[in-house]
Amino acid sequence: MTLHLPEVCSSESVTLLWRDVLPDVARLGAGDTLVLDANGVKTCDGVGEALIVEIFRRSAQQGFAISRQDENRIIAETLALFDIASFAEDPASTNPKRNTHTNEQMGEAAVRIYDDLCEQMSFLGEVACFAFSLLIRPGRLRLRDTMLHFERAGIDALPITLLIGFLMGLILAFLSAASLKQFGVEVYVADLIAIGLFRELGPLITAIILAGRTGSAFAAELGTMKVNEEIDALTTFDLPPVFFLALPRIIASTLVMPLLSIFAVIAGLLGGLVVLSGMDIPAVTYWQHVIQSSTLNNILLGLIKSLIFGLLVGLVGCSHGLQTARTADGVGRAATAAVVGSLILITIFDGIFAVLFYLLGI
Amino acid sequence: MTEENIINVEQVDAGYGAFPILENVSFTVQRSEVFAILGGSGCGKSTLLKHMIGLNPPLGGQILIMGDRIFGGTAEERERAMRHFGVTYQSGALFGSMTLLENVCLPLEVFTDLPRDARLLVASMKLDLVGLKNFASYFPADISGGMKKRAAIARALALDPKILFLDEPSAGLDPITAAELDRLILRLRDTQGITFVVVTHELASLFAIADRCIMLDKPTRGILVEGRPADLRDHPPCAAVRAFFNRELPHE
Repeated sequence: MTLHLPEVCSSESVTLLWRDVLPDVARLGAGDTLVLDANGVKTCDGVGEALIVEIFRRSAQQGFAISRQDENRIIAETLALFDIASFAEDPASTNPKRNTHTNEQMGEAAVRIYDDLCEQMSFLGEVACFAFSLLIRPGRLRLRDTMLHFERAGIDALPITLLIGFLMGLILAFLSAASLKQFGVEVYVADLIAIGLFRELGPLITAIILAGRTGSAFAAELGTMKVNEEIDALTTFDLPPVFFLALPRIIASTLVMPLLSIFAVIAGLLGGLVVLSGMDIPAVTYWQHVIQSSTLNNILLGLIKSLIFGLLVGLVGCSHGLQTARTADGVGRAATAAVVGSLILITIFDGIFAVLFYLLGI
Repeated sequence: MTEENIINVEQVDAGYGAFPILENVSFTVQRSEVFAILGGSGCGKSTLLKHMIGLNPPLGGQILIMGDRIFGGTAEERERAMRHFGVTYQSGALFGSMTLLENVCLPLEVFTDLPRDARLLVASMKLDLVGLKNFASYFPADISGGMKKRAAIARALALDPKILFLDEPSAGLDPITAAELDRLILRLRDTQGITFVVVTHELASLFAIADRCIMLDKPTRGILVEGRPADLRDHPPCAAVRAFFNRELPHE
């Protein structure tokens, strides 16, 4: 069998040879001779060299002989550059096999969750210690940083909070009005909106916005600082990163949540007003019902929930940020984990509040 | 070494926005030479490199890579010019989620129709060229800084470029690793005929590898001097060049 190498051994010409001729070469065995004709080759790039190496590799494996025609020393130079014996192993076998065994994957996931929980608890303990020390000496708080995060998490988030709050009130009003209209009591839509927004939807929607916007930002900022070794620099200065970086963020997110929640509720009430005005219910009547339903209980319960949700978002965001892996995708993973973790915790705590308030009768 | 110009930089104004960092810069790079771009911090070395590798258009002038304009020509001309060269960055810029073999395979997957076994063999041979064949299954996070730079060179070589641009190849490496990298560059030039354009301010590497260099100057916004590094060190044409090559502090 004779294999003529093309004048220009580039990826285009070698691809055809690889597909069409190498299957024939695979059928050669001991006693056969392959004539490798490189006399016509003028240029040979890396792919051409790979073809030559592959033929010699197969010759070593299958036992066929190679007769070279190599006026331009293309084959000789390739063999001088690469040791054929070192390519005896299939390159594909050097690629690591990703672990696809389900049991092992489940075990690894369990260990990871356990480690994650331990780290979260340790972080929580550290935050609690520093928060307690702040109560004793409040002057140690980095007020400027706290105010900066307060502005970013609060004032900068106001437009989206107002928009979503308004739309939420609008949707809630439409949905409930459709049902209550059947009984001619659509005026009670105002009560439903007020109670729903103050007790449940206001804090929940705001917490989701805060988790997506601020929690991920906290994780990404701290994660980038960790990758850039800024966290290491703080530690070597004996400045605890939790106190220096995490605490101002956690305080800011905790304090800003109730305020954002109030704005979301006000926007939602205005959304409800727009819908009910369209149903010929006077604004005065609407506001009277809203004020009647906005008891101190409802308002306080909403605010307490907001505080807890804000604390959760701050804690989870900072915790994942400080635990970021020093890899290219570490920051992205931390931000994602912060949002997902916050949302899960918010939902769990919301459920706990619902059961608790029901049992307490408030 | 033939005297054929492989890169022509013609009256280039380098910079961002309205303010050029370098003005009217012209030089040529010849085939199969190691050409160094020198200068102090902030003189525009990296800016000029970014123009040459097609990341940012220059404010004026033109850059020809093997006769093709990288900016100002047709899309086909730019694509041809881009295929002539590879680039390695200071940090190596390897993809962390891929093994070294997968990193080198990536350009072959995208730009060729080679079957998988051929791609893997080519990638494995490129890793062999830089002495990393036995580390093919390693992830970038598991290897040293010098190995990352060598792996980045292997990836840049995947499509057999005629030119390799290296940004600060020896930065952050110990002297032995830097010397190994220098030797690799010279070996690739001699065996593969690759032209190297190296941005550096590591003097030891410069004298070891560079055939010619230009030195950029911040105050004059241009090329202060051009020539062979050893000649410039032994016969500096001005005080600034002498200060640079002898690491002298400027006079008060």
